[in-house]
Amino acid sequence: MADEATRKAVSEIPLLKTNSGPRDKELWVQRLREEYLSLIKYVENNKAADNDWFRLESNKEGTRWFGKCWYIHELLKYEFDMEFDIPVTYPATAPEVAIPELDGKTAKMYRGGKICLTDHFKPLWARNVPKFGLAHLMALGLGPWLAVEIPDLIAKGIIQHKEQQNS
Amino acid sequence: MAADWEEIRRLAADFQRAQFADTIQRLSERNCIEIVAKLVEEKKLDVVHTLDGKEYVTPAQINREVRDELYMHRGRINVVDLQKIINVDLVHVESRASEIAKSDKGTQIILGQLIDETYLDRLAEEVNDKLQEAGQVNIAELCKTYDLPGDFLTEELNSRLGREIQGQIDQYNRGVIFTQAFLSRHKACICGLFSAITRPTQINNLLNLYGFQENLMYSVLEELVKCGRLKGSVVGGRQDKAIYIPDIYSKTQSSWVESFLKQNGYLEIEALTRLGIPDPVSYIKRRFKSSKLLFLKSACVGRGIIDQLEASVEETISSATWVDLQPMIPSSLSEEDVGILLNEVLRGMNVQSSARLLSTCVVSEKFITGCIALFDDIMQQKAQKEVKNNPVFLITEDDVKQASVLLESSASSKKDKRDERRKKASEGSGSVKGGGGGGGNAREIRIRKSKKKGRREDDSDEETTHTSQGRNKQGDVPFLSVEEIMEVLGEKVCDSSEEMLQELAEQIQRPLSKMYQEVVSAAFMSTSSAGAGGSRKKNMKDLQEEINNLYNNIRLFEKGTKLFSDETQATIAKHVLKTVCTDATNVLLSFVAAEHMTSDSSTAITSEIRLKILAKLSDEVKSPLMKLHNSLNGKAIEDFLSCLETSAEECGLLLKKGDKKRERQALFVHRQALLEQLRDTEDPALVLHLTSVLLFQNITHCMLHAPGRCVPHIIGFLQSKIPEEQHKLLSQYQSLVVKQLVVQGHGMEKKSSLGEGAQESPAVSDDVEGLQKELHSLTSDIKDIILSQRKPSVTE
Repeated sequence: MADEATRKAVSEIPLLKTNSGPRDKELWVQRLREEYLSLIKYVENNKAADNDWFRLESNKEGTRWFGKCWYIHELLKYEFDMEFDIPVTYPATAPEVAIPELDGKTAKMYRGGKICLTDHFKPLWARNVPKFGLAHLMALGLGPWLAVEIPDLIAKGIIQHKEQQNS
Repeated sequence: MAADWEEIRRLAADFQRAQFADTIQRLSERNCIEIVAKLVEEKKLDVVHTLDGKEYVTPAQINREVRDELYMHRGRINVVDLQKIINVDLVHVESRASEIAKSDKGTQIILGQLIDETYLDRLAEEVNDKLQEAGQVNIAELCKTYDLPGDFLTEELNSRLGREIQGQIDQYNRGVIFTQAFLSRHKACICGLFSAITRPTQINNLLNLYGFQENLMYSVLEELVKCGRLKGSVVGGRQDKAIYIPDIYSKTQSSWVESFLKQNGYLEIEALTRLGIPDPVSYIKRRFKSSKLLFLKSACVGRGIIDQLEASVEETISSATWVDLQPMIPSSLSEEDVGILLNEVLRGMNVQSSARLLSTCVVSEKFITGCIALFDDIMQQKAQKEVKNNPVFLITEDDVKQASVLLESSASSKKDKRDERRKKASEGSGSVKGGGGGGGNAREIRIRKSKKKGRREDDSDEETTHTSQGRNKQGDVPFLSVEEIMEVLGEKVCDSSEEMLQELAEQIQRPLSKMYQEVVSAAFMSTSSAGAGGSRKKNMKDLQEEINNLYNNIRLFEKGTKLFSDETQATIAKHVLKTVCTDATNVLLSFVAAEHMTSDSSTAITSEIRLKILAKLSDEVKSPLMKLHNSLNGKAIEDFLSCLETSAEECGLLLKKGDKKRERQALFVHRQALLEQLRDTEDPALVLHLTSVLLFQNITHCMLHAPGRCVPHIIGFLQSKIPEEQHKLLSQYQSLVVKQLVVQGHGMEKKSSLGEGAQESPAVSDDVEGLQKELHSLTSDIKDIILSQRKPSVTE
């Protein structure tokens, strides 16, 4: 699994307790609350470690999430939109994060820009149901994927840096 | 349920807030420093980091802090202290500070300190307080207390004079500020003090005594003197030795000097110094420019005295007498000055040739000539006496030279005389002493040496006189001692003082001696040159003859001596050496002496004189003669003879060994001489002596030259050779002679040595008269022994 920094970051994310999906009316609320708390903590941790790398928000019900994520490579900031839905079977099934911008640009991606998560992720998630939440998804799924794919894509010249995106 | 959703919504909002609220980027400290450094480097950011590295400070902030600190430190702060407080690099603090000093009118940097106007104002107030309290403040002291540079302080205080500081700065010494009150107090003090001064006073002393401010004092004093408030003058500028001389003092001083000069005709420099005139000579020159003063070592003399002196000198010269100038000269002048003065007077009158200066007396040359003339008679008499006395002539080579030179030069060149006069001073005392002591014995006379007659160059003469005069002492024939001259002068030239006489005597002693030498040598020449100095050739022949005679006689004597026993032989030999041989040596020596210098052979030459002569001879002649001289003291006649031969050869004399004929002639001559003597004498001892010697010669045909004490030996020798009765007669006569000598108890030394014989006949005792009679009667008999034999011996 991912590097030491990631492991540390993950360990600091509070684990969730409620095992319920969007269909469970009352328990979902509880679950959603836990999700938020864990996300807030993660973001706070990230900021504290000077490692802020995404913005995320959800719809009212908390079933659909969207936002931005970015990666800084060679002093340039590459920013992408992202989105995902909470599956009905959540939390047994991990959500599939999509970066529509990069659809068709890389092999490690499904149709619709859904990122192809590593083989490690799914078993890991499965083992940790229901303790893993959205924060873990970001830290263990999208984060490592970006770290691997974006430099590669940039090197291949597939992604161009957009102007005025300087940190 | 709704509440739950509400919570979710709130959480969502929190989440958003969490994501967006804190979007400020977190940078690691290291990065941050790097970024800032980069920015500063690119001049995009103007910040300064603190020394501990924890903060960045903008220049504006530093500026503000500097100002604050300046204010906090009451307007004066050290930049280094500032740096510590602000805690940024010194460079920035300094640049900020200098910027502030530049931009802010009232602020400036002095000695690394930031100082603003308020501080200076406060400082000025403090200074003013101090000034009002003390009356004056010294800027140098202020500099020390405030630790600020003097120039700056002076300037700042100057600009505040009259505003914050009630006082004024000294015009001459810009380092002092004083109040008007102080100034006037000071002025009043100085005015009072200097008004009271009546004699020259060192201003420095007053300064120390009354504690005035030195510079202030001078300026005030000058002002007061200038405006006439103080009557006096400051001498010596503003230095330590500046002296204030009140007018009243200098007036008194100059009036004293003037009156002294007017009254006494001279001024003592010492006296002026006592009066406190620092440079008397120049003072006098300045003061009496018009009157011609004569400056001496310790005084100066006015025209009046000089005129007086000149007049009396003139009178002296014209009247051909002498005058003692001492009474006319101020008594306070030193001896040296008197000398200078008198010399000056004489030189001024140009009368050196007609007058002479003897200490303080001026004597005209005519007078001196007169004095010398007085001695003519005495000199002639003395010279005659001297020549008659046949003095020993000891002459050294130098003396000869000197004599000739003196004779030549005394042809009276004026120059010489003057030379002598010049030298007289140095020689005076010496020659007096030498002359006095040397008068009695060891007289020396020099005669011009004939060989060196050739004319010399004049200047070389001069030189010789110079050198030889220096060491005269011995070379002079003293005429009269100074005392004697004084005596004579005292008789003839009355009414002179003792000292004057002494001086005069010393003056004329030299010319007198010289004249005396001339007179003596002239006298000597007249007596001796006829005989001895006449013809050298003849002289030489005579000498050779004489030496030869002596030589032969000595040989004959030696022969006679050999007939005696050893003891007697030695005695006789000694006698021969002492008498005849010595004569021969003397003759030879005086000849040699005459050869090499001028001398005369007629004097008795003792052993010492021989040595003296020898010492003066040249080496080649000297050695054989020395040997000869030494052999006289020996015992053997043979040694003497051989020495005599070599010496004679060295001297160019021919010694002929006598042949028989000559020998006989010599015998005859000797005998005749002895007989002559015998006939003339009545002295029994001599009669006995001569008789025995003659008998000896008759019998042995050998000459004998024996001392009296050998007479008994001779008689003993004769015993067997002559008839009995003759011998008896001789023995009797001998005993009578001995007796007479004993009775007389004393007698000539020669005779008393007959003592041995006296013991042989102690029995004879008669009264003197009887003895005399007896002797007398026998004398003719004894004489007859020889005189009767004369005829036959002649025929032999």
